[in-house]
Amino acid sequence: MTRLAAWWFAPAPAQRLAAMRIIIGLYALVYVAARLGELASVAQLPGGNFAPVGVVRVLGAPLPGWLPLGLAVATVATLACFVIGAWWRVAAPIAAGLLLWTLSYRNSWGMVFHTDNLLVVHVVALACTPAADAYALAPRPGAPPASGYGWALKLLALLTAATYVLAGIAKLRLAGVGWLDGDFLRNQIAVDNLRKALLGSPTAPLATPLLEHPGWFAVVSLATLVLELGAPIALLGGKVARAWALGAWGFHVGVILLMNIWFPYPLFGIAYVPLLHAERVIEVARRLGRTFLRR
Amino acid sequence: MASLVAAAVRGRLFAGLVTGALLAVVGSPVLRSPSDDDFPLSTYPMFATPRDTRQTLDYAWGETRAGERRALPPPLLGTGEILQAMRIYEHAVAGGKRTLEPLCVRLAAAVAADARYADVAVIHIVTGTHDAIDYLVRDQHGEERERVRCRVMPPPRRAP
Repeated sequence: MTRLAAWWFAPAPAQRLAAMRIIIGLYALVYVAARLGELASVAQLPGGNFAPVGVVRVLGAPLPGWLPLGLAVATVATLACFVIGAWWRVAAPIAAGLLLWTLSYRNSWGMVFHTDNLLVVHVVALACTPAADAYALAPRPGAPPASGYGWALKLLALLTAATYVLAGIAKLRLAGVGWLDGDFLRNQIAVDNLRKALLGSPTAPLATPLLEHPGWFAVVSLATLVLELGAPIALLGGKVARAWALGAWGFHVGVILLMNIWFPYPLFGIAYVPLLHAERVIEVARRLGRTFLRR
Repeated sequence: MASLVAAAVRGRLFAGLVTGALLAVVGSPVLRSPSDDDFPLSTYPMFATPRDTRQTLDYAWGETRAGERRALPPPLLGTGEILQAMRIYEHAVAGGKRTLEPLCVRLAAAVAADARYADVAVIHIVTGTHDAIDYLVRDQHGEERERVRCRVMPPPRRAP
């Protein structure tokens, strides 16, 4: 127990956690801002399509059209405070709550998008940590927190790993070890691409050629399950974590090639930032910014 | 010194509570049925459910003036997401004529307003049954049952 506590609370620089706040917060800000038009369109859908999920279950009917858009704009504004680390103790929980609401509302129209889950969980977790003690407009005065910053970094990494483990567990619970024979995955990919073809979306580039060769899908199924259930090894840090992150990123590239489904949060590498020395990204950006300003 | 130790204990206690609470919440889907999906606490059932390759789906297609078939993408329904579009068609088909006709008219208006679909003259909303492998690999299409059709009215010409 003592060794576990020593590992969990091992010191880490405030800059690393702050860098995660900036990178994850900025991604969330751009993600919501880019979807304002879509959120406005979704709010115009007939009320019969409304199927509330998560926190939106408190509603019996859709909100008036202007209100979800207004809340989405407020989400963007508070996320801006989140990114620059202003009024952290107030702005961060509000930003996290609004992001949870806005993306839950977007998911409340008949389909849950699994592209947004980890983003929301990371922002909520960051809002509970001292992530604005560096690289912030108004850093917290006084000594650093006694519990340090290392636990927060490990928590974010653990949340990333947990989502993959949950996906692996779901496969075993729903299909058992039979999922490994490749037919489940092949059928999933075929059905997904059929829907795309019929509903007017582009099919995936490798789907049709690979569907003719069922043997491949057993290999892909095994690799997927090993990657998902093995995600906790990323907590070991260092090269092991980076190798797992690369494998997970490759998995998402494979999902594009076989199903044309884009998970931007992991594809841009943001989901794996907790496994890296994120402060280096900020330092490079600062150096580039200074060089640019000197010119 | 005592106050520093107390602060350290309080800090670790808070960190422990935050960690425990978040992990319990994020891990809680394992206690639900794996098919009982939610947001953001998902069971991630998306690629796990066994599926038959023979599928019955509701969708729309456009017929051009030359009698050719054109697929109609989800943005014409006001969503960028294919599964959301699927739910919209399913909901309309389940509601019968009362919901199908307004959806067809809405789709026709969106098609009329989009120059990329200027050749589309008629919208068909159908229920089709296809085998996914046959459809994609062998180009063998299944059966379709038309639910409703409507004409695409060209947008009114602006006065000079």
